[in-house]
Amino acid sequence: MSNNRSELDGSSKKSGIYYGWYIIAALFFATFLAIGSRQGFGVFVKTWEQDWGISTATVSIAASVGWLVNGVSQPIVGRLTDIYGGRRVVVISLTVMALATIGVAYVTNIYGLIALSGFVISFAAGGISPATTGVIVARWFEKKRGMAMAVLIAGGSVGGLIVVPFLSYLLVEFSWQTAHWLVGGLALALGVPLLLIVVRSTPEDMGLKIDDGESSASTETEVVVRPVGPKFAEEWRDSLNSKPIWQLSIAYFVCGITTASIAVHFVRWAISEDITTGTAALAFGVLSGINAGGVLVVGLLSDRWQRKNLLGAVYLVRGLGFVLLIVLPGSTAIWAFAVVGGMSWLATVPLTASLTADVYGVRNLGTLFGFANMAHQLGGAAAVMLFGWAFTVWGSYDITFAIGALALLGAGIVSLSIREKQDSVRYSPVPEGAAVALHESITDEE
Amino acid sequence: MANPVGTLLHHSEPIDPDLWEWLSAKIDHVLGVSSGVMVIVLGAVIVLFPIAVVVLVWRKWRTIS
Repeated sequence: MSNNRSELDGSSKKSGIYYGWYIIAALFFATFLAIGSRQGFGVFVKTWEQDWGISTATVSIAASVGWLVNGVSQPIVGRLTDIYGGRRVVVISLTVMALATIGVAYVTNIYGLIALSGFVISFAAGGISPATTGVIVARWFEKKRGMAMAVLIAGGSVGGLIVVPFLSYLLVEFSWQTAHWLVGGLALALGVPLLLIVVRSTPEDMGLKIDDGESSASTETEVVVRPVGPKFAEEWRDSLNSKPIWQLSIAYFVCGITTASIAVHFVRWAISEDITTGTAALAFGVLSGINAGGVLVVGLLSDRWQRKNLLGAVYLVRGLGFVLLIVLPGSTAIWAFAVVGGMSWLATVPLTASLTADVYGVRNLGTLFGFANMAHQLGGAAAVMLFGWAFTVWGSYDITFAIGALALLGAGIVSLSIREKQDSVRYSPVPEGAAVALHESITDEE
Repeated sequence: MANPVGTLLHHSEPIDPDLWEWLSAKIDHVLGVSSGVMVIVLGAVIVLFPIAVVVLVWRKWRTIS
């Protein structure tokens, strides 16, 4: 393989598809397995309740612990990615996740489930999240970073569409133990070797160039000296003293609030509006389908336009969806929201990840985007609780939807206020001399 | 709020059990194939994807060398 690597050097752009897209394909599969397996938890709830004689609330402990652990894990695995490289982190994470999934097959009580699913799998899943995979993508792509991120993120949606039914049919045909054995085994036998064979943390690991040598760093001299942005910093702590990371994280916090609350309460809201569960499920399916397309369109556009404008627009469009839920009759609102909300559902992820990379560079991207991801998850957890509480108190979701719409308006304004043209390397690369100086200091450290 | 912890279970990460119950019944109704066939079809998709990627990567290396 090492021979092949050296042979790929330089001439690769004349030989078809850029190798970065193969990296995307491999990470797509890992994301597909990781997200699909986590979503599949819901398939087994009723079986565990029956087998172990426990309540839904008890099983829920594993899910809620997992949610928080996954959120907290993001900056940690992100930091590990910055230090050790994305390849090691995703390979180890998928290995741990696969072994723990096989381990779930041997669990006989809720404590084992909380330990393995709530802690181990959820933490390892953080290692196959945008906080790590996004870093690898950002190191391979610069000009088409938004599109590459979007394709990768779409893998999560596809994972839900394929892996969840697969687990469900395994449960029907065999048992929940067999389902976990098979999915864990497939991840171990196929996913881990795929990552090992295909994924490299950086193009330089294969003697290649970012963007296949098509980016601004395309000549021999410039490849060694990548352009840097005004906010690129040696230490991730320094980045926390600047505005953009907080603007992105606050907006992403609102993203977590609004996506998690809808995902959790959509069916309950529909029932409260005298809409059947079936119609709600279908509408949510439409929303999921549109979001896969929406994320790809936004990813494509983000490589041409200012990302912060798209990010602001996405939050405002989602806010419009929340307003529609309040002002339209339930039977109309559900479809209006499925279309309007679907367009904006996942689109924030590639935009936030790409913008973080553009403003702060890839050196500390895992840590910084990990922080933003943690804000997203914690916002989601808090919102789910608050929406449930509010519905119990007021008997309606209108007030919470109004709060969601206002929060999204705020997130839109905050996103639009990001000074992308001044802070992003896409628009304001630091003069070459400064870039050389920074590069040399980085090289010395490495 | 009757059960704050239980509410979390309906999150999109662990798929909503109510949604999935309805969806799986709908899929069965529309496709009308047995669970065994679905296991084979979906399993084949999952197995073939990484194999296809490795084959493509191998072909790329081979083309270049």
